[in-house]
Order: sequence, then C-alpha cells, then structure tokens
Amino acid sequence: MTAWTSGATSDARSAPMTTISQIRYVWKPLVFAACLVPTATILAAAFGLAGDLGANPVEALQDHFGNWGLRFIVIALAVTPLRQLTGRNWLLRFRRMLGLFAFYYVFMHFLVWLLLDQSLRWSAIAEDIGERPFITLGFIALLLLVAMAATSTAALRRKLGRRWQQLHYSIYAVGILGVWHYWWQVKQDIREPLLYALLVALLLAYRLWRSRLKPAAVRGLQRLSRDMPPPAARTWPRRAEPAGQHHGPGNR
Amino acid sequence: MRCVEAWSMVIPWVGIPLADVIRRLEPTSKARYVRFVTLFDPARMPGQRSRVLHWPYEEGLTMAEATHPLTLLAVGLYGEVLPNQNGAPLRLVVPWKYGFKGIKAIVRIEFVESMPDTTWNLAAPHEYGFYANVNPHVDHPRWSQARERRIGAGLFAEKQETLMFNGYAEQVAHLYDGLDLRRHF
Repeated sequence: MTAWTSGATSDARSAPMTTISQIRYVWKPLVFAACLVPTATILAAAFGLAGDLGANPVEALQDHFGNWGLRFIVIALAVTPLRQLTGRNWLLRFRRMLGLFAFYYVFMHFLVWLLLDQSLRWSAIAEDIGERPFITLGFIALLLLVAMAATSTAALRRKLGRRWQQLHYSIYAVGILGVWHYWWQVKQDIREPLLYALLVALLLAYRLWRSRLKPAAVRGLQRLSRDMPPPAARTWPRRAEPAGQHHGPGNR
Repeated sequence: MRCVEAWSMVIPWVGIPLADVIRRLEPTSKARYVRFVTLFDPARMPGQRSRVLHWPYEEGLTMAEATHPLTLLAVGLYGEVLPNQNGAPLRLVVPWKYGFKGIKAIVRIEFVESMPDTTWNLAAPHEYGFYANVNPHVDHPRWSQARERRIGAGLFAEKQETLMFNGYAEQVAHLYDGLDLRRHF
C-alpha cells in the first residue's frame, strides 16, 4: 500500500481542481485563523483587553491551553470518521493542521506549567513527572505529540512509510492519555472529563468497528480491481495513487 | 487561607471568635466535637442541584479546635459584609486548616459526642481527612503540598514554601500532641 502523500488522490477523483485550490488558498487559511481564536482570547484576557485571567492567572492559562489541547485532539480524531461517514474526502486535507494545533495547545499547556507554575525548578518538575501519575500520563502524551509533530511533513511521511503510520497511530493513545490526565486531576466534579471520555471512546470505538468490517471490504475491492482496467486517476499528472488507497492505513 | 489545591490567599476576615459563641451556648461535658451544616436550598444555591457532593455540606471540629482563639465565625471580609459566594451570612474560618474546613452559610451548629461526618471526607476518604491540617510533609495523594501559589502575587511569582499549620504551628501544634499527623491527615 503506497503512503498517502498530499491528499491529491481521492480528492482528484471526487472534486474538481478548483475545489482543491479553494481549499488550499481560502479554506485552509480560514481554518488556521479560526484555530488561533482560543489563543487570541486568552492573550486579550492576559493583557486586560477583554476580561482578565481571574484570581489565579497561572491556573487560568494552564486550564485554557489544556482544555483546547484536548478539544483539538478530539477534533483531529473526528476527521476520519466524519470523512468516511459523509464521503467528504476533502476533510482529510485539514487533518494535519488540526493535529498540529492539538500539539500546539498541549505544548503551551506544558510551557505554562514549566515556566509559570513550576518556575523551572527542576527538582519539583522531576518529582511531579515521576511521582504524580496524572502528570506522568500528560507528559507521555506530550512526548507522543512532539514525535508526531516532528514527523508531520510530507517528505518525512514518504521517507518513514509504514513506520510513520505506526508512530501516528499513537494519536489514539494520546486521546486516552489526555482524558485520563484530565480526569485524574479534577477534585470531584467529573462531568467535563466524562464528556471528553465519551467522545474519545466513541471515536475509537468507531475505528474498532470499522476495522472489523475492513478485511471483507478490502477483499471485495481487490477482486473488483483485478477484473477492471486501471483507474483513470493513474494517468493524472498529480501524485495520484491506485484505486483502493483510501483503504490504506493512512486514512483510518 | 490555604486551599488543599495548593494556592493560598491572605484574607482580612471580619468575625467573632467561635469560642465566645460556644461559651454562651454552654455545652455539657459530653460535647467532644462541634458539627456544622450549610443551608440546603437548591433554588437559591443552584450548585446544589447537581450531586457532585453529598448536600448539605457538613463540617466538624474537635472542641479544642473550636474553642481555640484563632477559630472565627466570619461575617465579613475586607471591612465589608460577607458576599453570598463567600459564605454569607456566617462561615467558619480555621486558619491552620485547608480551606474546605471553612464551611459556608452555616444554619446549624451542634455539639456531639462522636466524630461527625464531613463532606469531603465522605466524598474521598483517602484524600481528605477529618483534621485537614495544613502540612507540607503530607502530600495529597495526587499532588504535592510542599509549596503553594499565593493569589495576588502576579503571573510570574514563584510558588512559596508551605508552612506547617499554615504558619500557626506555635499557636496550635499542642492541640495535636501525640497524634500521628501522617495517619490523621
């Protein structure tokens, strides 16, 4: 199975080229700007332009970035199920950006903890990571996100091939670790972490359900492609891939 | 006030020593603990509509703690009448204990013979004990109690060391002579 490269393939067959450039030059910048709104609101609060950070500003910053990190993890995990259920393949073109925003917000959450909460006191930081299980979980999730963000370029994706895919499956673990990290630190009222737990459970259960259907579907497609002439997409000048690639691991 | 969630705040409470009130109530020699209960009124206190804790909130002190001159029944703060959210009309302030001991909107004070139930202890007995004395050497099972963030110190202020009994060791440590504070947290 060839690695997914720029997403040109399934779109190429399902959408005209104008839509592809529209996505690249109109929708992607708009979504990018929308993803920065939570940063803008908290900066506005921090500088007293709109509201303030409340009595405990360090906690307010940390909670804000942590919450948005978890929300973007859920959003990134929702891309593939939404794409498969609605047939809107262009959704895939936003997945990397959304995943990188999940990394960005989680990393800001970590930086606030490191610089403002712990004030770079390394002994306390080591103790927290080593001895406070909820911080250990969060730290592991952060490391996985760093690894995924660092390998998120198309070139590295091509170069790493199967190993890239294996590494990026860890977004599932990040979803579980993120919810667990949140759940474990609330004092009593678990309603909000419960909501995230249900969302992540739903998104992972969908994949489990789909992977059980998949073997039969793939066999069916392979039979079909043996009997049919090569798909037209092969002859396209853009980096096109053989039919059935959307059942490849890259799109799970 | 030192919160169990590792922040603290210097608050100029307005109140009366609980000891003065207890003296007027003339408890018998059978009274060993004082039990406090918060108003249960979900219509005016909408937070009580969700069952995140067992309502009404209840708290307790030993007689020695309750009659200590540092223990206050507060009616105000910063020279103003106590706002509703801070526990109007009457709340408990026990400066050497974690903030959750400071029960708000008190409607009942009882003298009892045996150790009363307390809300947070009922919710998570391994995390919140009856005594709940501020103690930097006994961590919360999930986080450190060694340091605290002082509210109002600013975004870039470092946390400060938590003091035994929140800095009131000289005044209150004798109340716990012979008590294993690691076990009776």
